[in-house]
Amino acid sequence: MTSHRMEPARVKDDTFAIQTYQLTKIFNSVVAVDGIELNIKKGELFALLGPNGAGKTTAINMLCCLLKPTSGTATVMGYDINHQPFKIKEIIGVSPQETAISEHLNAQENLNLIGKIHGISSRELKIRSQRLLETMGLTGRVKDQVRKFSGGMKRRLNVMMALIHNPEVLFLDEPTLGLDPQARRAIWEYIVQLKGEKTILLTTHYMDEADFLADRIGIMDEGKIVALGTSTELKTSMLEKHTMIVHALNLTQKGIDEMRSRYAEVEVTNGTITVTDKQLDFKEIVDRLHSSGAVVRSAHTKEPSLDDVFLHITGKELRE
Amino acid sequence: MKFWELAKRNLKETYRDPLALGFLLAFPLLFMVLFGAIFSGDTISSYPIGVIDDDDTPLSQAFVDDTLADVPTLEVANYDDAVTAMKDLKFGDLKAYIVIPQGFGEQVSQSWEGKETNITLDITYDESDLMLSEQIISIINAVTRSFARIEIPVTINANPIHIETEITFIDYMGPGIIIFGLLILIPTSARIMVSDKEKGFMSRLLTTPARPLDFISGYSLCLVVIAIIQIIIFIAAARGFGMDIVGNLWLAFLIFLLTGLCSIGIGMVVASLSKSENQAEPLCWLFSMPLAILSGVWFSIEMLPSYLRAAAYAFPYAHAIDASRAILTRGVGLEAISNDFLFLIGWAIAIFAIGVILFRRSMRS
Repeated sequence: MTSHRMEPARVKDDTFAIQTYQLTKIFNSVVAVDGIELNIKKGELFALLGPNGAGKTTAINMLCCLLKPTSGTATVMGYDINHQPFKIKEIIGVSPQETAISEHLNAQENLNLIGKIHGISSRELKIRSQRLLETMGLTGRVKDQVRKFSGGMKRRLNVMMALIHNPEVLFLDEPTLGLDPQARRAIWEYIVQLKGEKTILLTTHYMDEADFLADRIGIMDEGKIVALGTSTELKTSMLEKHTMIVHALNLTQKGIDEMRSRYAEVEVTNGTITVTDKQLDFKEIVDRLHSSGAVVRSAHTKEPSLDDVFLHITGKELRE
Repeated sequence: MKFWELAKRNLKETYRDPLALGFLLAFPLLFMVLFGAIFSGDTISSYPIGVIDDDDTPLSQAFVDDTLADVPTLEVANYDDAVTAMKDLKFGDLKAYIVIPQGFGEQVSQSWEGKETNITLDITYDESDLMLSEQIISIINAVTRSFARIEIPVTINANPIHIETEITFIDYMGPGIIIFGLLILIPTSARIMVSDKEKGFMSRLLTTPARPLDFISGYSLCLVVIAIIQIIIFIAAARGFGMDIVGNLWLAFLIFLLTGLCSIGIGMVVASLSKSENQAEPLCWLFSMPLAILSGVWFSIEMLPSYLRAAAYAFPYAHAIDASRAILTRGVGLEAISNDFLFLIGWAIAIFAIGVILFRRSMRS
C-alpha cells in the first residue's frame, strides 16, 4: 500500500467569497504574511486593520494574483489563486494603494481602458461610467487629463476604475490614504452604498475607517491575524477591564478609601475619580459615592477604541 | 483585442506628453544633424593612392584608368614597383598603394561569367590614420566588388561603373548612423514600460485579465509607430546631408524596421527584468553602447579580431548595417541580403518570445 500525503481538509462553502488556507509570503527570509486563515462571506465588507508593514497589502496582492504565495493558498469565489489567476482577474476589481491611473488620459478614457480590457461594449461603458462619474462627483471634469486632478479626485477615480466592470469581489487597498476628512467622507459614503452588493476586502490603518465601514475586522500585526470580529465584539470581548470616569464634588478620603478597597484601580485627580476593574456597575459606583457624601456632577464609562484593542493585543499603538 | 486597447492608451500617453514626445523625435533628429554635418559634404580632400598593376591586362588597366580614376575622393598615380610606392607612402606623398596581382583580369572576367572567383588586391596603407585608411579601404573594396560583380559580360571600354564612383563618406556612414539611432530605441522602449511599473499602473493592469502577449504587443505597437516616425526622420535627414539612395528604399526601410523591432524586443526584455527606471536605464546603455561600437556603426568591423566580429554578428545590428549599406550604396536586391534579412526576422521573433516569457514570469513574483 502506498501512502498519500493528504492536503488538509478544506471547508468549501459557497457562502464564502474569499477563503485563505495558511496563506504565507516570505520575502528574503522576512515573513510578510504568516499563515493567515480567513473566511470572508459573500456580500461582506471585511477590513484588514493594522499598522504600516503589517502585511495587509501583501495579503491583498496575493489574493489579486499579483504575488505568488510562498506557501498555502486561497480561493476567490471558488477559484484557486495559484492555479486559476485569470479566472479570478475576470471577477475582481482592485483599487491599489498608489493611485494607479494613466496621467495623460482623461477620466473617461481611464475607465474605458479597464472596461474594454474586461470586454465591456462601448455603449455599456458609456452608461456605466456616466453613472459612476455622477456618483463620485467627477462629471464636470470628465474631459480633463487626470494629471490635473486633485489628490481626492484621483483617489475617487482610482476606486471607480476598480468598479467599472462591475466585479463580484472588490479589493480596496487603503482607499483614503492621505486624504483630508472631507474627501475621506465622500469615499466612505460611496463604499457604504456598495455594502451587501459586493464582497469587499478593505485594508486600512485608520481605526475610524474600519470602525465606520466594516462588517467584520481582522486586526493584523507582523503578518498574522491577531484578532477577528465585529467592531463591537472586538471592543467588548477583547478587553478584560472596564473603566468609569466620575466627576464629583466633596470627595472625602473615607469615600476614596472605600472605593480603593472594592475596586482594582482607583485614581483621583482634581475632583475626577477613575475606577477600573473587570466588572463595573455604573449605578453601584454612583450610589457608593453619594452615600460617602460626594456630589456626583457627571459619570461615564470609557468606551474602548480599536486602538485600545490593538494596544492590548500587540502592546503597540496603531499609528494614525 | 486587449492589446489594442493597451496600445491605444500607450500612444495617447506618449503623444500627450510634450516633453517625452519632444525627446523621442528631437533627439534622433539632433544627432542625425550632428553626425550628418560631420560626415557630409565634399569637403574631404582626395586621397593620393598609388597603383602597381602586376596583372597588366586590358581588364586591370580599365579598372585602374576608368574605375579607380573616376572616384572623386581618390587621386590615382601609377607606379612600376612597390619599393618606390613604399618610399612615397613613408614620406606621406601617398596615403596607400594597391598592388593588382597577376590573374586579376582573369578572375574578374570569370566573375562576370558567373563563376566563383577569388579576387584579391593588396593594399598597403598608413595605419596611423585609422579613419582615413578605413575609408580608403572601404572605398576600394566597394569599387572593386561592384567592378567584379557586374552581371552581364560587357566589353571593357563600355564599362561605366557609376555607383561606387560616387560613394561619399555620408553614403558609407549613413546606414551606420541610422542603425545607431535605432539602437537608442532600446532605452526608449524599456522606459515606457518600466515607468508604468514604477508608478504602479502596471500593477493595476496586472489585476485585469490581460495576458502577457497583450502587454508585450500593446507596448510594442506604440513603439513601432515611434520607430517608423524615427526611421522617416533619419532617412530624410541623411538624404538632406547628401546620402545617395541607389537601391530600393522600401527594402532598406524594411531592414530598418526589423532592426527597430529587435531594439524594441530588447527593451521589453530589459523592462521585464527591471523594477524601476533606475535599474532599466543603465542596463539598456550597457547593451546599446557596446553593441553600437561592436556592430560597426562608426567603422567597418572588418578590422575587428575574429572573436569580436563573431560576437557582433550574434546581434542584429551588424547584419542590419551590412544589409542596409548594400542596399543603399550598392543597390543590391533582397536575394543578395537574404541571409541578413532572415537573421533579423529570426532574431526579432526570438527576442519577442523571450520578452513574453520573461514578462509572464515577472507578472507574479
